[in-house]
Amino acid sequence: METFVIGLSIGSILFMVALGLAIIYGTMKVINLAHGEMVMIGAYTTVLATKHLGFNLYLCIPLAFLVTAAFGYVIERTVVRRLYGRLLDTLLATWGIALILQQLIRIHFGLALFGIHIDGLGSDLQNVPVPSELQQAFQFLGANIPVYRAFIFVMALVLGAVSWWLIFKTRFGSQLRAVSVARNTAAACGINDKRVNTLAFAYGSGLAGIAGVLVSGFKTVSPDMGTPYVVDAFLVVVAGGVGHLMGTLLSAGILGEVQSFVATWLNDVYGRTVLFTVVILILLFKPQGLFVTKSR
Amino acid sequence: MLKFSNLNVFYGTSHIIHGLDMEVRKGETFCLLGRNGVGKTTLLRSLLGIDVRTTGSIKFEGDEISRDLTYERARKGIGYVPQGREIVPGLSVLDNILLGCNARKDGQASVPDLVWTLFPFLKEHLNRRGTNLSGGQQQQLAIARALATDPSILVLDEPTEGIQPNIVEDIEKAIISLNRDHGLTIILVEQKIRFARTAAHRFAILEKGRIAAAGDTAELSNDLIRKHMSL
Repeated sequence: METFVIGLSIGSILFMVALGLAIIYGTMKVINLAHGEMVMIGAYTTVLATKHLGFNLYLCIPLAFLVTAAFGYVIERTVVRRLYGRLLDTLLATWGIALILQQLIRIHFGLALFGIHIDGLGSDLQNVPVPSELQQAFQFLGANIPVYRAFIFVMALVLGAVSWWLIFKTRFGSQLRAVSVARNTAAACGINDKRVNTLAFAYGSGLAGIAGVLVSGFKTVSPDMGTPYVVDAFLVVVAGGVGHLMGTLLSAGILGEVQSFVATWLNDVYGRTVLFTVVILILLFKPQGLFVTKSR
Repeated sequence: MLKFSNLNVFYGTSHIIHGLDMEVRKGETFCLLGRNGVGKTTLLRSLLGIDVRTTGSIKFEGDEISRDLTYERARKGIGYVPQGREIVPGLSVLDNILLGCNARKDGQASVPDLVWTLFPFLKEHLNRRGTNLSGGQQQQLAIARALATDPSILVLDEPTEGIQPNIVEDIEKAIISLNRDHGLTIILVEQKIRFARTAAHRFAILEKGRIAAAGDTAELSNDLIRKHMSL
């Protein structure tokens, strides 16, 4: 049961990162390789806000969302917007942005952030103080469940629900869906497609920033911490079926559990190996992803 | 109302429309004719600013719009019914129509009564997914969506192409009614000569990106059709 809950929390982080990635790709067909750096910026925002502003982890969630959304907004307006329809160029450009952001953080903060992070000391040494109530554990079906892991899971569900509401129940959501499948027609209906793109990019980046807040509660914060997340998030999006919110949710859950169970039984290396194998098998047998639905 | 002057349109590296001069008058139905591939759809896309590069001038109600973005042109009153309809999957009939309201100057998100008058079928199926309708019903939906933009001019690209015959007549009647009864200016790309003669006041035949013939519909002779449109 503990392993299952750890898998759920891994899947939850993956879901938050992948959801942002899926929204960005679905809307503007841009593969944002700087998406992992939004996780990193969210985590650093948390560290800075707790240290210098006295924020607790809860307050850091909206703050990191706003900060990373602002980063996403600027990246879209200054770089990505000029490269629409040029997939390889956007890949290269966003990868370059990722490297720049990593190096800026590395130059500014160094490898030992605030003197409390020492590489290799493990996940128990956190950069961010987690509220005491989240450090507890509770019993569920005879298992000892860390409250923080459950909190991550609940946050993922809340963000999933908010995103669902935003996409399917608001006027902006209709615009977003129209732009994602019929850009020209949407524009001919008076929808400012560039503005929709910018906002979608900012929102997707903000989701990754929130994931960064939650990751900072159990992992040490470092300039290159986002890279593994962007890779895993891509696996989630591809395996779930591009453009499907529910597919992204289920795929994140499945891949999170696969990694968690195999890593617990064997080790992390096998966990990653099996994860990649599962994704390859999915792509072999369901190239469009697990949860693609057909419409007329 | 709408004036193209020395318009050149490029699609990628291809030069599609060559130095075109054309005028559409307020309150008329203007029909663009021509064989496949002569530039009719490209001309419409240049009017909307969709995926093409242009030189020359496009003036709409006195304003130069050739540098405007597509959504800005829609908000200035150009309604567009694309070839292939492009109904947004996942959205209901109502939500597809309401997309058009994004272009409205008054900011209202309500369906004009005219839509229900012309297409009562749509009112009975508001909650169905737009993509679950038949081709003809989707075409009605695409016209309804364009009408929801509250256009001054309606641009239709082969609105009856590939539609089942029983709905073609309804769509043709609706287009004629929009012009005759409601005073809407219409640009129509059409292959069906019979409908062009019934609906249009004036016409232009395109050939290799240039106007090969133009005039009042009464001048659209069988000779012209044989010369410029027969395969």
